[in-house]
Amino acid sequence: MSSHREAPGILKDPTADNTDVYAFVTPNNTVTIITNYVPSEAPAGGPNFYEFDDTVTYQINIDNNGNGRPDVTYEFRFETTNTNPNTFLYNTGPIDRLDSPNWNHRQSYTVTRISDGRRRTLARRVPCPPCNIGPRSTPNYSDLADAAIANLDGGGRVFCGQRADCFFADLGSVFDLATLRPFQSLHLIPTANANGVDSLAQANVHTIAIEVPIDHLTRRGRVPTDPMDSKATIGVWGAAYRQKARVRGYDYGSRNVGPWNQVSRLGNPLFNEVIVPLAQKDRWNSVGPDRDSEFAGFVAQPELARLLPVLYPGVFPNLAALTADRADLLAILLTGIPQGLIPGFQNFTGPTQADELRLNVAIPPSSRPNRLGLLGGDLAGFPNGRRVTDDVVTIELRAVAGATYPLVDPNFTPDDAVSVIEDGTFNNPGRVLLDRFPYIGLPYSGYDVPAAS
Amino acid sequence: MDPVTRRSFLIKGSAGAVGAAGLAAGGFALSSIGDTEPALSASELEELDGPVVVQITDPAAGEVAVLFGEREVTFTDKPLVARVLRTAR
Repeated sequence: MSSHREAPGILKDPTADNTDVYAFVTPNNTVTIITNYVPSEAPAGGPNFYEFDDTVTYQINIDNNGNGRPDVTYEFRFETTNTNPNTFLYNTGPIDRLDSPNWNHRQSYTVTRISDGRRRTLARRVPCPPCNIGPRSTPNYSDLADAAIANLDGGGRVFCGQRADCFFADLGSVFDLATLRPFQSLHLIPTANANGVDSLAQANVHTIAIEVPIDHLTRRGRVPTDPMDSKATIGVWGAAYRQKARVRGYDYGSRNVGPWNQVSRLGNPLFNEVIVPLAQKDRWNSVGPDRDSEFAGFVAQPELARLLPVLYPGVFPNLAALTADRADLLAILLTGIPQGLIPGFQNFTGPTQADELRLNVAIPPSSRPNRLGLLGGDLAGFPNGRRVTDDVVTIELRAVAGATYPLVDPNFTPDDAVSVIEDGTFNNPGRVLLDRFPYIGLPYSGYDVPAAS
Repeated sequence: MDPVTRRSFLIKGSAGAVGAAGLAAGGFALSSIGDTEPALSASELEELDGPVVVQITDPAAGEVAVLFGEREVTFTDKPLVARVLRTAR
């Protein structure tokens, strides 16, 4: 998965598990940043439905000077309340508005912007929408979700609540010795080719989304218009923090104490999942991007690039012969792509190696987005930021397989298979994305998923 | 962490005081440890809010970390650490 349950420690702590990060330029000189949490929510998971955690601090971090440390942070703290002490139910009747007296268990949150050591509250006690339960409990769910979009003081909008997971991948196949169903007849252990299966097709997540003016994110509050401007790229990552100690035995279960320690983070999709060795994943989650030079060796010599020629005998001979450090992947994932490699494009942030989702904000949104992003010639797509429609599994799979190595070595020829391999999943037609904030589709309802037979 | 001496930590009022309180609440018999410190005042006791966790981070060096609120302070007190650990044996 992109970063769902990607490390031994965080898989036991789903409310703090950052599953995906998206960042893309949106109309009116804004950037939308989305971080998702709580992986693989089963829509019918009641009576205690999924939610954010009051004891977690969630952050969206922006590095605008290339040192791997946050220059601007949007911090989210949640508060959960029960309005009816006499019921076991989430709701005692239809929830037709965000202040419905029928809604027992509800959450709200406060947004704080931190920059230059100063904290400014941008929104206070904003209500989250309820989870999508079903037609009797949450009728007109779209209206409830829309009502939960709030304005931020100083400009911008925010939404926090349940949404449909828009990450797609054939997890069942990929985790079975890197099987790609459409090409599994070529696998070391072959079976007949088949269509991909989207393992997250009907799963929900909890989304934190902001749409903020570009000049709130960039260095010195500029709005760059030249893509070659060295200050046009920002680095984005999500992170979650827990206090150092938890003491059990209080009336309501436990109390937390001490400074906040990072327990989860994510910039580029699949970084911790596929690049970092299992034994170091928890450590990676606990340090900041400014420490990522420690993990650069795993980018330079990615394990997956060595596995593909073994698992698909004879399919990747050129990749098998490629033993040099992967300067292409080091640039894409850790420093950004410098000028001179792709005409009209760069998202280089300097020599500091840091896993950040780098977005050149001077590149406007594409009128015809290509799901393969930069690999498809679309400069507004991953790895220039990440849109909700980008097929990051295919992009990264092909990049690791050698598609991007000619950027740094024009004499290298990718294997023929590189331009066609994929896991066979696409954005599910039933997963409706929005063309407006917060872009991710409405969550699946527990009544409807799984469907009646 | 904010490195401080044990004395500077203790004279910060409630924070220092709750360190000893936390130890007592943890079940140790430490009546002798606070012999040289004045007892908590009523106002100091009223300021206590939430747990205080005291962790011996380096027994050999006598290093102690105290977690309270959203902070962590450290101090070094080898005799205190020795007495705590002997009590816990």
